[in-house]
Amino acid sequence: MEGTVEALALRKLRKSFSSSVAVDGMDLTLSRGEFVSLLGPSGCGKSTVLRMIAGLLQPDSGEVLIEGKNVTALAVHKRNIGFVFQSYALFPHLSVFENVAFGLRRRRLAEADVQSRVTNVLETVRLHGLGDRRPSQLSGGQQQRVALARAVVTQPSLLLLDEPLSNLDALLREEMRLELKRLQHQLGITTLFVTHDQAEALAMSDRIAVVNGGRLEQIGTPEEIYAEPATQFVARFIGRSNFLTGHIEGDSGCRAVVRCAKDVRVVIEKRSAHVLTPGSVVRIAIRQERVQLTRAFVADTDNCFPVTVALRAYGGSVQHYILRLQSGAEIGAEVRAAEPALRPGDVAYAGWTARDGRILSGEGWSREG
Amino acid sequence: MKGKIPVAVQFRAAALATYSFAVLALLLLPVGVVVLASFTRTSYLTIPPKGLTFRWYVEVLGSPSYVRSIVLSLGLALTATAVAILVAVPAAYALARFRVAAANLLVALFLAPLAFPGIVVGVALLQLYSMMNIQPSIGRLLVAHLIITTPFVIRAVLATLRESSVDLEDAARVLGASRWVAFRRVTLPLIRPAIVVGALFAFIASFDNFPVSVFILGARQITLPVKIFSSIEYGVDPSIAAVSTMVIVATGLILVAAERWTGLHRAF
Amino acid sequence: MKPLQASRRKTPAVGLLAPASLLYAGAFCVPVLLLLPASLQLYVPNQGIRPHAYSLENYYRLLSDAYYLEIFGRTLLLGLVVTAITILLAYPIALYLARTRARYRNWLVLLVIYPMMLNLVVRTFGFIALLANHGLVNDALIGIGIIDSPLKLMYNFRGLLIGLTQIYFPFAVLVLIPAIQSVPTEMEEASRTLGGGWFTTFCRVTLPLTANGIATAAALIFLLTESALVAPRLLGGPTYKVAATLIYDQFLVLLNWPLGSAATWILLFTALPIASFFGLAARQWSAR
Repeated sequence: MEGTVEALALRKLRKSFSSSVAVDGMDLTLSRGEFVSLLGPSGCGKSTVLRMIAGLLQPDSGEVLIEGKNVTALAVHKRNIGFVFQSYALFPHLSVFENVAFGLRRRRLAEADVQSRVTNVLETVRLHGLGDRRPSQLSGGQQQRVALARAVVTQPSLLLLDEPLSNLDALLREEMRLELKRLQHQLGITTLFVTHDQAEALAMSDRIAVVNGGRLEQIGTPEEIYAEPATQFVARFIGRSNFLTGHIEGDSGCRAVVRCAKDVRVVIEKRSAHVLTPGSVVRIAIRQERVQLTRAFVADTDNCFPVTVALRAYGGSVQHYILRLQSGAEIGAEVRAAEPALRPGDVAYAGWTARDGRILSGEGWSREG
Repeated sequence: MKGKIPVAVQFRAAALATYSFAVLALLLLPVGVVVLASFTRTSYLTIPPKGLTFRWYVEVLGSPSYVRSIVLSLGLALTATAVAILVAVPAAYALARFRVAAANLLVALFLAPLAFPGIVVGVALLQLYSMMNIQPSIGRLLVAHLIITTPFVIRAVLATLRESSVDLEDAARVLGASRWVAFRRVTLPLIRPAIVVGALFAFIASFDNFPVSVFILGARQITLPVKIFSSIEYGVDPSIAAVSTMVIVATGLILVAAERWTGLHRAF
Repeated sequence: MKPLQASRRKTPAVGLLAPASLLYAGAFCVPVLLLLPASLQLYVPNQGIRPHAYSLENYYRLLSDAYYLEIFGRTLLLGLVVTAITILLAYPIALYLARTRARYRNWLVLLVIYPMMLNLVVRTFGFIALLANHGLVNDALIGIGIIDSPLKLMYNFRGLLIGLTQIYFPFAVLVLIPAIQSVPTEMEEASRTLGGGWFTTFCRVTLPLTANGIATAAALIFLLTESALVAPRLLGGPTYKVAATLIYDQFLVLLNWPLGSAATWILLFTALPIASFFGLAARQWSAR
């Protein structure tokens, strides 16, 4: 049956180096025009995946399909993709203009064509007039934009970016984030973006694929990934969460009670219909910003526990608290700084709704993320 | 506002500087002596020279055997260097960019002649040639010189390739260049300085070589170093000083050119 | 997965390495290895090489006859002494060139490189002009009145020592400069702040940290001196031999190629291990 051809499809991609498996049977599909991030810690295999898509690395097994065509055996220079390297890889002996024109010249376009396309794209990335400079004469941010221009000027069907913003300072990085997103939207190129920075991924992506140890942990929209992490690794990697271990005390169908300590019975809203066996050990996650701090006990809340303030760190728009439960376990809370600050030693109550907690899938939490 | 440097430190620094200058002057003493001696009017070597004349230079430049040996040495060095580049660059590229079995061993082998006693290479090739009945010729001399020149080029190019990132070639390939085009348009410009430095050392090594040449050449091909050597053994006279001075000046010019092109001093 | 992929990746490398590999195999490895069987043959003067007669006779001669043993011993001693003296003299220069910030520093480096680029025969000729009985040194010393009759500075150990030390001096300097530069000045400054004077700092910080450079220089100078042919031949003359001139004579004058080949192997077997020993020491000491 004829469906829309996927812009990119990875089928059971596998790659191992001498002693370790870098990519472990990865499946992924991208629709045309999508911006998808491959998010994960260093060494999780995401750059390896990117290089296999580009053809710079050969997979041990599996297939890469671009626009429905199996390119796994196709040579690098025939794949018509754009690639932005972490180091930018600008040719030092060529001017900015010639750098950007490089791909067009390989396609033997007419000189006038080359001129106009290069000039246009340089304007698009706001590097107008810098065509004659050498890469070494440009700032980091400018070099980054040349690399981008060079990658998109050939109008590839796929754009791959390997942590392109990691060499920029924090302020520039945030600026470039939005610019990149705007450019991608403007050009409508299917984009795969590799990063270890969750804020980047959350801000820019249509979908995020969280990768760990060569495997896909979860794939979904930024909202889904953030609000509904499927595994402990994802919960840990994105946002700040509290993790508590306990055993099931009761399962009332839509809610479960998890006893974490003598006085800590956490009520959790279940996400799946799966019946939990009383007594089985589970791990739960609660986002730190969902923890409410009050001076007094609030009745009618699902969860409210007495705590002592152990530490407070000021974060500009928020206050970070480390709170100690009566059992001795510590949890973190992120509270808007507008509210009056508590001091270490103060007694307070930490509470959250049943919906704010999540039981992590059993398989997920047995593997440390 | 200058800080006061303690006298002890100044003294030490001055002593070190003086020692260094003295030693460097001594280093160039033999060179200076030769240049001076080449102008003497006497027909024996004497320093300081007695009188001033260019007659020895005229004699050398007019001597067919000297001229032939100069031409031979130059041609040999140029050819050996050119061929060395053609052989060395692909080899260095393969070793730096591909996964080659026993790569370390191969690199050690390719660089070995730099450390190997030249005389061993000379007599070994002499044996081989005579065993295979290869008569004295420029060809067999050239092959011997290739072993002299190639290591220099491999060393320089390999070092540069190992330092530079593969990303640049990868970027070129992703942009549509085949491996060969990527090499020609990206890698080659990058290694050109290394090739020049390697070629320079190779050229000089070949031109100056004695321990290999002396065993391999025949009666009809005499390279300049061997010619000078034989002349010295026959008896020392100012014409040797003259031809030596020519070599001294030529080497000096090459040094200046090398410094201009590649900033030689930056290697140290 | 298509196996074609894997082989296609390897063949370019093989093709690229072929010319160099063939060159080295044919013009380097094979000839040097052939010296071994060649050394086992026997040469009879005026008759040539006796066919099919292999024996260790040559090695026996070279290693038992006092004449040859003296030559090998002298070569070894020369190697060690030249290495030691050269490094001792070169180190301060390298120190100066590595640390000084004088404007003419680069010219001085070029001045060190220059003799290294200069033809060895020409350089040695300069030494003849200096060291001969009527050379500059003797004439000057007699002229000033320090001595009455010329010092014998050629055709003996002294002459070779002076010549070889000066000839290989730039090599030592140029190897030591990067070694010294690799010691950050901050380390020496740290030692000073901790109370060390310049001598202590030098002995306990600079010297140990440059030890691997010294070892590398030693390996290089030793090997060069052991293999030296031109300087010993011209400054030592035809009778005061070293290993290389012995080999030269056997091959080109006496035509006893088998004996020459045996001498070559003995040279290799003494020079290379010692040089490697220095090299290994260098690698050991650089693992910090």
